[in-house]
Amino acid sequence: MAVLTADMVAGLASTGASCRLDETVAPKFSVGDHVVVRNINPTGHTRLPRYVRGKRGIVDRDHGVFIFPDTNAHSEGEKPQHVYSVRFTPRELWGGDASERDSVYIDMWDDYIDPAS
Amino acid sequence: MAKHEHTAPPSDPALRVKALESLLLEKGLIDAKALDEIIDTYENKVGPRNGAAVVARAWVDADYKKRLLDDATAAIAELGFSGVQGEDMVVVENLPGLHNIVVCTLCSCYPWPTLGLPPVWYKAAPYRSRAVSDPRGVLDEFGVSLADDVEIRVWDSNAELRYLVLPERPDGTDGMSEDELAAMVTRDSMIGTGVIQAPK
Repeated sequence: MAVLTADMVAGLASTGASCRLDETVAPKFSVGDHVVVRNINPTGHTRLPRYVRGKRGIVDRDHGVFIFPDTNAHSEGEKPQHVYSVRFTPRELWGGDASERDSVYIDMWDDYIDPAS
Repeated sequence: MAKHEHTAPPSDPALRVKALESLLLEKGLIDAKALDEIIDTYENKVGPRNGAAVVARAWVDADYKKRLLDDATAAIAELGFSGVQGEDMVVVENLPGLHNIVVCTLCSCYPWPTLGLPPVWYKAAPYRSRAVSDPRGVLDEFGVSLADDVEIRVWDSNAELRYLVLPERPDGTDGMSEDELAAMVTRDSMIGTGVIQAPK
């Protein structure tokens, strides 16, 4: 008997598997906080793109609590924590005469960011 | 030189997919009919017409639009769309002077229940790198030329959130039905690489 059969597909496709967790975890940051992205270079799985490492942004919204992929992908636990949409200016990311008005929003787990001093 | 009839071997990705499929079937992990069902689902049932229905509803129903912007996942589920790669949705609204565009710089994350599977260019390195570094240039190549004073917001779906753009309703559509409006909504307008033209 196959693990996945045709009659299961519709239900699985329409349900999916959210990585959001219904757990109470204290957020480390609030909307409006200035943050700096950790300049880390993990050898394993990460969802932290290189182009924002070391860059400064502002927390725009708190998406709630999610599984942390960097540990979960290696069977090292879910490590639940908040994910925030963090706003960066193109000037911060690309320097030079890049726009200060436009924005790049990227989603950051607590473990990707520190308070900006 | 003698003429030979050659059958070119399939591409590397095609071979890899065949190998994976064979392994899944031979190990008894998946039924062949389940594979057919998955392919049928994303070829014929789930695609950008779903997202277009969401957009049209938001255009005609202010209460729905508010729910959509407050809790996109729940509002989209009201219309029957949910599931894989749309578990946690965010809708961002285009306004006069504000344009949103969505990318996944890490790979190909995309809201399947509302848009179906991503187009090839969305998964390709040039779009993924340039959408964040030169969105205005990318939009120009898609035929979307924005005035200099239009603010651009780029959304990188690097995490678990999936983003859908709510495009602006074009002028001259006041008398149109919800179905007629939905028919105008393009896939690219919901990624942010297109805008919807006013009817002539």
